[in-house]
Amino acid sequence: MSETTKVLELRDVAVHFGGRGGFLSSPGPVVKAVNGVDLEIGRAETVALVGESGCGKSTLSNTIVGLQAPVSGSVKVSGEEVVGADKKKLNDIRRKVQMIFQDPALSLDPRSTVGATIAEPLIVRGVAKGKELKERVATLLQQVGLRPEVADRYPHQFSGGQRQRVVIARALALEPDLVICDEPVSALDVSVRAQILNLLVALQNRTGVSYLFVSHDLGVVRHICDRVVVMYLGRFVEIADRDTFFANPKHPYTKALMSAVPEADPVVQRSKERIILGGELPSPANIPSGCAFHTRCPLATEICSKERPELTSRPDGARVACHHA
Amino acid sequence: MNAAANPLLSVDRLTIDIGGAKVVDDISFTVAPGKVMALVGESGCGKSLTSYAMLGLLPPAAKRTGGRIMLESTDLGAMSERQLRKARGKDISIIFQEPSASLDPLTTVGSQIAEAYRVHQGASRTEAYEKARQMLVDVGIPDPTRRLDQYPFELSGGMCQRIMISIALINGPRLLVADEPTTALDVTIQAQILDLMKKLVSERGTAIVLITHDMGVVADIADEVAVMYAGRIAEIAPVHALFAAPKHPYTALLLASVPKLDHSPKADLATIEGTVPTPSEFGVGCRFADRCPLVTDKCRSEQPPLFQSGESGHRSACWHIDRMAEIRGVAA
Repeated sequence: MSETTKVLELRDVAVHFGGRGGFLSSPGPVVKAVNGVDLEIGRAETVALVGESGCGKSTLSNTIVGLQAPVSGSVKVSGEEVVGADKKKLNDIRRKVQMIFQDPALSLDPRSTVGATIAEPLIVRGVAKGKELKERVATLLQQVGLRPEVADRYPHQFSGGQRQRVVIARALALEPDLVICDEPVSALDVSVRAQILNLLVALQNRTGVSYLFVSHDLGVVRHICDRVVVMYLGRFVEIADRDTFFANPKHPYTKALMSAVPEADPVVQRSKERIILGGELPSPANIPSGCAFHTRCPLATEICSKERPELTSRPDGARVACHHA
Repeated sequence: MNAAANPLLSVDRLTIDIGGAKVVDDISFTVAPGKVMALVGESGCGKSLTSYAMLGLLPPAAKRTGGRIMLESTDLGAMSERQLRKARGKDISIIFQEPSASLDPLTTVGSQIAEAYRVHQGASRTEAYEKARQMLVDVGIPDPTRRLDQYPFELSGGMCQRIMISIALINGPRLLVADEPTTALDVTIQAQILDLMKKLVSERGTAIVLITHDMGVVADIADEVAVMYAGRIAEIAPVHALFAAPKHPYTALLLASVPKLDHSPKADLATIEGTVPTPSEFGVGCRFADRCPLVTDKCRSEQPPLFQSGESGHRSACWHIDRMAEIRGVAA
């Protein structure tokens, strides 16, 4: 990948919380939400970030848009450093990266028409005004499959799927290089999910936007992503191209995740080999020694609790952090 | 089918009305002991109202205007509030989507589980606690004695759902209603809870009415499936028959819209155009007509009954069951 095609570059990013004592209180435990991750995303590429609640997915997303400062490491969006950027610089960077959240009802202002909502970033950035602004909003609405006339309506007059289309239109208003999609379809009904996924693919084909797609639905991930990253307790445990990843998952956690996702086919689902993980995700305030997964891992041996495995490359191009995989 | 021969639960022509609109319209199904019936559908299809009606838990605005709900020979609909209170938690229990919202945050989980037992069985405190401890072992919670004295906030979501299941099952109910029991949980925890539910069904013979929108969960655990659309049953069938050869266009499109392993990446997924009609938009004909690729004039003017189709117990409310091959063309 050449310099110019990288829309996102993470180098050894770590984000920790707490640890400082408050007034009259002793220092609490340090929560290591993200603990040294590296990642690159190219133009028009979709990378899936997969993991369970508490693995650090959302903290990492917030760090990329500059809402959360890392304790160390570097975050570059389209070649520009986010970490330590001043307010003005950060503002410039933020127009290049946008976010879409899970529940569109919570992402839209109920008292603002959808037209005004979509126009807001364009006004704030001084991109367009007057007649031109109206036209831009109309074009954006059409791009996401809505009629331009709906600009005067309020969010409550739309269905869940239509609201998510409005959110997507707003995210695309400033023509960002990267859109972080945080579970964008999991709050939607099944029949609507497919519409939104088709829309995201079509928009990427047209504009060349890249997606960081945070999801736990491996069926959706397989459908929409080019590369998959699996995160466990603040670290990446497996990174691979989609086909390699699904044909030959290597990390025991990845395998367990895959076997846990129910397949919408009773014959396949009831005959597949199941790896049921025991126990729960340990607290990120108290990450197990060595490999963080060793407390739940079916392959764990002595070395796993002592030495943390690094991500190493495998012949098929996958990178895996495991002593035994 | 032995479900019909000796059902534990039979819902017969259930109709529920909100403000004059039939939001649940003429729903009938039966569940045999030890079987799992899945009610599947999108938001607003009436699946939750149907299940709440079984426990007499309908919201004030909703009225049951027709039909019967029988638990063996007991008519649940004819019960007084007093009788219902005795039946709930004893003969028929419910678990909800968000366990942390269903548990009392100010009471230890031990006394919440024990309470259910004491209220219904009149057991002593000690006896009830011992029973509660036993339940925690059964639902797979390690270190049960310590857990009994903890509060819900000290437990994870998956653990809280196991507590809910303990409360629901401590009196050995014959029927468990599970309303999206794993939707709020992570997939690895979901797998644990589904396995637990399967184990309980086979060990105790508890029947389950499972409400879900997740076709993967249905494929995993259901014996029979009722697909609901806009307050009516569109299709009802044994699980394998439904997935192998859906007989209603809505079911077929719903299944086709889920990305499958053999689907080529980023290719267009089948979609269902339009949106679910609101109760005020219900016409006289088939409620799916406006979104259906097979629609004809007859669909708009006349409501299709549930036709028997294919293997026993497979029924579909569609005038065009013989044209299902066309849908597969659309879906492919």
